[in-house]
Amino acid sequence: MNCSHVAKKFAIGAALVLSLTLARAADDLPKAETILDKYVDATGGKAAYMKHHTEITKGTMDIAALGVKGTVTTYSAEPNKSYTEFDLPGLGKTTKGTDGTVYWMQSAMVGAHIEEGAEKAQSMRARMNAEVAWRELFKEVKTVGMDTVEGKECYKVEMTPTEGAPITQYYDKRSSLILKMTMTTQSALGEQTADSFYSDYRKEDDVVMPHKIKTNIAGQDIVFTVDSVTFNPEIPADKFALPSEIKALANKK
Amino acid sequence: MRFRCGALALWLALAGAVGAQPALPPAERQLNIDSFEEVWKTVRDKHWDPKLNGVDWQAAHDDLLPKIEKAATMDDARDVMSEMLDRLHQTHFAIVPGEAYKELGSNAGAEKDSASEGAPGIDLRILDGHAIVTLVVPASPAATKGVKPGWEILKIDGKDLAPGIAKVREAMGKSLTGELLQTSSLKERLEGPIDKTVEVEFLDGKAHKVKLKLGRAGPRGAETVLGRLPPLHFWVEAHKVQQDVGYVQFNMFFEPDAVNAAVQKMVTECAGCRGFVIDLRGNPGGIGGMAMGLAGWFTSKPGLVLGAMHLRTATIKFAVYPHAEPFSGPLAILVDGCSASTSEIFAGGMQDLKRARIFGTHSAGAALPSLFEKLPNGDGFQYAIADYISTGGQPLEGVGVTPDEEVKLTRHQLLEGQDPVLDAAVSWIHKQKD
Repeated sequence: MNCSHVAKKFAIGAALVLSLTLARAADDLPKAETILDKYVDATGGKAAYMKHHTEITKGTMDIAALGVKGTVTTYSAEPNKSYTEFDLPGLGKTTKGTDGTVYWMQSAMVGAHIEEGAEKAQSMRARMNAEVAWRELFKEVKTVGMDTVEGKECYKVEMTPTEGAPITQYYDKRSSLILKMTMTTQSALGEQTADSFYSDYRKEDDVVMPHKIKTNIAGQDIVFTVDSVTFNPEIPADKFALPSEIKALANKK
Repeated sequence: MRFRCGALALWLALAGAVGAQPALPPAERQLNIDSFEEVWKTVRDKHWDPKLNGVDWQAAHDDLLPKIEKAATMDDARDVMSEMLDRLHQTHFAIVPGEAYKELGSNAGAEKDSASEGAPGIDLRILDGHAIVTLVVPASPAATKGVKPGWEILKIDGKDLAPGIAKVREAMGKSLTGELLQTSSLKERLEGPIDKTVEVEFLDGKAHKVKLKLGRAGPRGAETVLGRLPPLHFWVEAHKVQQDVGYVQFNMFFEPDAVNAAVQKMVTECAGCRGFVIDLRGNPGGIGGMAMGLAGWFTSKPGLVLGAMHLRTATIKFAVYPHAEPFSGPLAILVDGCSASTSEIFAGGMQDLKRARIFGTHSAGAALPSLFEKLPNGDGFQYAIADYISTGGQPLEGVGVTPDEEVKLTRHQLLEGQDPVLDAAVSWIHKQKD
């Protein structure tokens, strides 16, 4: 028997022990509802979220594989209006938004379209203060096990939206913060699995939020970094108005 | 956190040039060995096909490691890495010399030292084994000296082109990329420092030999920078042909805002036109996603797909989002052996969708989506990350786009000031019913 054989046996043994441990732990796992509510509490509490009615977030987006780094600015307003600008040098500007009814995306590179079905549902879930509205946005949530993210023990919660594929979020057992999310993005470009890792949690006006999100999609890493968050700024109403091309597409429908 | 990313499907296509280098000190040799290892590992880990097209990649490493260890110059090291990549027998795997990057650094928009490089203002193609001028840029050094389309280039700086053209033709056989590579190589020989001339011997329209010392001017268009690519020069032109046909041409798929604005303007002005021409001759490609945006100007049908990019872990469809007011009349797309990558994705997809008729000669068959990385030795490394299958089910790599109507350029027609490919497209448009 050589060393690798022995190592293999140890590995199999370790896996068995681990799965038995996890199986036993699964009986004691907290309910998903509890985990999600604890997340809201850990990040500031419902009252802290609800005192914010508008928001401007500015940051950067870095696509390492291309060596491209640009800016991202998001304007949000209650209950569900948003407008985001991605400006990447050499790739042009991409905008995405909703007036609360029509959800759309537009870029010189790919074109313009009105989101439908699962793609629209995905955008609807990214509304302002969505963190406290999970009961409206997901028809079922359940704790499906434990996992380790960046060396931290996490509760793994599967969340099934009213439309579209389930997402899985990993909540740090100690801090209650989200450390990872796995989802399947759905659009005319196809279905892509995306793994997002959340870090650099810091407080912004009583709400704790991640300031770095590293997303791996289609084998490439995209890093979003938050530089500033402004709550309750005056945002002109026309910021959320549909662009003329989108308005024309909407009228055609 | 409300930052979200719309799905991005980006990839790039370009090739580079080479220069001579002196013997290297040990530290730089080590950087070349490190670069060799990085190239090898990147292909092993990121090639879309885990079986690497059936190539014994470990053997490639083991065979060539002694060679890279002995490589005494940068040119030698690049040759070894290129030899390794050649074993894949696929396009879009290349080593781009660090010199080509011209100080690409912190700020993408920063000034680059590209003002000192230029060209005489000639475009050319290999027609029946001869290097023929196909275009003379107005007001360029070549135009000033009276060079005309249709002239044959016999010698550059005293070197006879005929033996080289014949040799490459024989070596490349029926390979579709031969025309692209040979044309690029000859154009590079005309390029150089702006303060130096290049001596070119032509055969003019009356079959007389004409020897001219041509100056060089900065490349046509505005400098554009994208990520780790060397700085490039981009131009787009749009106008009407014969008053009733829209025409758009751009030299590469970069600057999405500029291309989109030019196409939008022409589609708007051309609402009553009989047809539209997109001229992709000589266009080597660029940002793949732009094929989708361009296609959206020429269909009102939702749900169309140009093709799909197959990565190791995902498949991305090239969906077409129709614009609100697209051009719905006849569409002709012009291609030739120097139309590659995104040009082929667009032309092939529109042909498969039966939305366009393709005119010209067979495209380059070089259509693998790729990325660029900087190597430890400062060189750039281009590597393909995906295969691309057009919506008709055919891969474009090595196959290319076959025109619906093959039209070859001839020296005689060029001397007469004709563009038979464009003429054929316009003629077809005029024959279509309103």
